[in-house]
This record gives sequence, C-alpha cells and structure tokens, in this order.
Amino acid sequence: MKEFILEARDIHFVYSDGTIALRGATMAIEKGRKVAVLGSNGAGKTTIFLHFNGILRPGRGRVLFAGREVRYDHSSLMHLRKNVGIVFQDPDTQLFSASVVQEISFGPLNLGLPEKEVARRVENAMEATEIADLRDRPTHLLSYGQKKRVCLAGVLAMEPSVLICDEPTAGLDPVHAAQVMELFDRINRQGTTVIMATHDVDLAYSWADYVFVMNRGTVVGEGLPGEVFCDGQLLQQSDLTRPWLVEIHEQLSRRGWLPDGLPLPRTKEQLFDYIQRASGSGKPALVHLFPRGKMHPECASCNVGRK
Amino acid sequence: MLKIDQYAYTSSLRHVHPGEKFAFAMLTMSICLAASSVLVPALVTGLTAAAIILGARVPARFYFRLLLLPLGFLVAGLLAITLTISREPDPAVYGFAIWGITLGVTIPGLYHAALLFTKSLGAVSCLYFLSLTTPMVEIISVLRRLKVPALIIELMGLVYRFIFVIMETAGSMYISQTSRCGYASLKTSFRSLAQLVSNLFVKSCYHSQALFTALLARGYTGEIRMWEDPRPVSRKNLALIALVDFILLVLVLVSWRWPV
Repeated sequence: MKEFILEARDIHFVYSDGTIALRGATMAIEKGRKVAVLGSNGAGKTTIFLHFNGILRPGRGRVLFAGREVRYDHSSLMHLRKNVGIVFQDPDTQLFSASVVQEISFGPLNLGLPEKEVARRVENAMEATEIADLRDRPTHLLSYGQKKRVCLAGVLAMEPSVLICDEPTAGLDPVHAAQVMELFDRINRQGTTVIMATHDVDLAYSWADYVFVMNRGTVVGEGLPGEVFCDGQLLQQSDLTRPWLVEIHEQLSRRGWLPDGLPLPRTKEQLFDYIQRASGSGKPALVHLFPRGKMHPECASCNVGRK
Repeated sequence: MLKIDQYAYTSSLRHVHPGEKFAFAMLTMSICLAASSVLVPALVTGLTAAAIILGARVPARFYFRLLLLPLGFLVAGLLAITLTISREPDPAVYGFAIWGITLGVTIPGLYHAALLFTKSLGAVSCLYFLSLTTPMVEIISVLRRLKVPALIIELMGLVYRFIFVIMETAGSMYISQTSRCGYASLKTSFRSLAQLVSNLFVKSCYHSQALFTALLARGYTGEIRMWEDPRPVSRKNLALIALVDFILLVLVLVSWRWPV
C-alpha cells in the first residue's frame, strides 16, 4: 500500500494579475521517494510547490499532507511549513540577513526550538552543505553557488520531512551541482522525501525514482523515469527532450549493436558496461561504432580489429 | 561606503566583542561632545585615529581620506560661525570694511569655531571607529540588546541587506544598457538612466514580494528572531575602556571648572 506524504487533488489557481497558473493539477508524492517535476517555463511547477507549503491557497481543489487536508489556520500552517521546506530558485530573493549564521538559524528559531537545538541544527546544516568556513562571511560577499548552498542550509536546518527544491542545480558549476545531488541522495537515505523541479532531463532521468511532467498548469504525465522518458509524444508536447542515455541506448539497440531486452541504462557507467559486455572479450567493441570500411590508424580499437 | 563595510569585516578588531566597541565609541563620543575646551576633543581624535590605524590596521591613507569627507561640511559651517558682520566699527573685530559694513573675525568667535571643529571631528572619529571595526550585523545585535524596538532593528537589517542586492541589480542593468550603447549620448543617457531607475523600482517591489514568500515558507510569523553567537566579554578591554574614558572625563570636568 502506497503512502502519500503530499497530494494535490485537482487544483486550480489564478494569480491576482489574472495569470492562470494551475488548471486542475493532480500530483501525489509518495513518502521517501526522490521525485523530479519536469516542465517548461510557466508550466506551474513553482505554483504547485507554493501550494504544498501553504503559501498559496487553491482556488479550487484540495491539498493533503500525510493524508490530511491542509488547513490554513496559524498552527496548522506552522506544522506544514515545519515539515515541508522549500528552497527557491533565486538565492538573492531568499537571503534576507547579512550574516550566514543568522540566515540559517531563521527557520529553526521560528519553530521555537531551544537554543542548544538551534545551534546543533545550524552546525549540522552548514556541515552537510559544506559551508562551515563561510560562517562569519557576510552574505553579500558570497558567490552565487555559495549563496545557493546557504539557502539550502537554511531550509535543511528546519529538518523537514519533505524537501522541495526549485531548480537546485541551475547556475551551479558541474562539481557543485553534483555535490548538491549527492547531498539530496544522502538526506533521502535518511528518510526525507526530496522533490526537485528541473529542466534538465538528463539529471531527472538519472536521479529520480519517480517523475511528473507538467504542462500549462496540469500534470500531463507521470511514472517511473524509464516509462516517462520513452514517451516521445509526451516529451514533445511538453517542450522536453529525451535524455541522451535513452537516445543512445535506443540507437545502439536499433542497429543491433546492443542485445535486445536490456533494461534502459540509468547511468553512463551502466551504458558503458553494456557496450563492453556486448563486445564479448571487451576490447574491440568500439570498432563497430565507426562506419564500416573506415579505419582509424590512431585508434586503438581499429588497430585491434585489424590484427 | 562599501570600503568601510569591507574593513569592518577584515579589521584586526573584528573579533572583539561588539558591545565593547560600541560602548567605547558611544562613551568617548559623549565625553567629547561635553567638552568645553579643545584639549579633550583633540585627544579623542588622536586616540581613535591610533585605535583605527594601529589597532584595527586600517591603512592610514584610507582613514585620512575618510576624515576629509566631513571636512567640507565642517569648513562651510564654520565660516558662517566665525565671520562677523557688523554695521558699526567694532574694535574687537579683526577684518576690513566695505561700504560701511565691517567683515571680520573676533577672538572668541575663532575660539568657538576651533572648539566646534575639534568636537565634530572627535565625534565623527568615534563613529568611524565603530563602523570601521564592527560589521553592521553586530551593531544591530548590540542595538537589539539595548532594547531598541524590533521594527527599527528589522528595518535596519533588511535595508542593509537590500543595499547590496539593489546595487548589484542596478550594476548589472547599467552594464547591459552600456553594452547596447545606452549611454552613448547625453540624450540616450538620460533615457537609459530613467529606465534604469524605474526598472529598479519595479524590481525592488518584486524582490520584496519574493522575499516575503520565502520568509513565509520558513515559518515567518511577523517577527525576525536572530541567532547570536555567544561572544566572551574581555575584562581587559573593559578595564582599558573604563580607564581611558575616566581620564577623558576628568579632563572635561577640569576644563569646566577652570576654562582655558
């Protein structure tokens, strides 16, 4: 029996300037999963996240947290926001304090925790995001990536049971982006449900357990990454592309260079492993990747083939 | 202004308890303002200069340039005080007469001006001492301890943070305008500047809205509570501050009793 931690049921929402952001969006997030929400700009990802945190109230429809309908009185909202943390995309709109420590301690202090506990959580969050050395640095002297990690630490320090991140890797260099994803895996293993909005199909495909695709205010598709990313029509109508792993796997299988019936590779290591195994002894496999009849004298594989 | 902020974070006195620095600056400034002779204000100016240059390791050149800033206002204000204009010739006025009006200075006037000059300079140096050694965040935390209303404290903090956000936004807008020849002629410059300012306003509104949302998401309920790292108070520093300010105070009292 599946246990859903967050649910949006047929939510409609119109912003005060008349923009229709959600037109009957339904999304059920299973507890303990790693969920990616994909969709082009303006698909409604951020709006649905703001509903999960109780910032926005649905015009029509219902939001449920841990099976109970969300209520909008003070103590219910505090309970919800304690459990559902959002890291926003632009760190400069989130950072309000000039001090890194004060910024991170803001959330825990709002929860009314004792001082010792606040100190412990702040330290843990700084350690997890590897910003302990920035402790006394003013926020305006931080780089974009550092600001982003401070924002993440500020939400982690509240120890939410669901962590929602809007474009967590946008604007980060590859090394720091990979670090953030590792951090998500780590806190997910500790039991936190992690939800991430992204445009990056490759990242979503490799990382997520479950994928939602949004388009024009509704959820148009959902499922395991392997299912969703093979649905070419769904991807196309949502302005998304197929992950390169899926594409290459398909090409290789179609040409008979990989045996049929292999499951889709989730990581590039897995794909390399397929290629290596498909070539039997392992060495000359790559010779098949080059057009027939053409030999490359500098290429080790071609030379092996020739001998 | 940004340079001051930078020095506040890098000065050698950065890790001295902010309360100590605040107390020193405020006490010394009050004593300086209460003085009735030039001796104490001059001492204060020298003392804070030494503390800033030798203690906090702020480059002397930079500090003297900072001192030149208020000098312009001071000189303009002092001219108005020193110059005496009278219709009848006055033996106490040293000056010259044109069209029956005597323009000049008097000895008490000069003394008064000198006193005012040194007092202002002394007070300004005390404030410089505080702002060059103590980051804004810590000054705010001292004010919070002193029970300044939360509204003012929060506003100070947000204004301080947003100075940098807005400056950065304005900076990148300016660059993007310049790269499209926005400031090529006087006419386009005026137009670009107008657009920059109005855009900045709109963006600031958007920013404040987004910030409010982000604060709400982290359980904001109308009050920003602040975490304070515990900082040990140094008895040695307190004793030093007490000693210096006591000597200055005695000097002031003496000058009240026996004016120079």
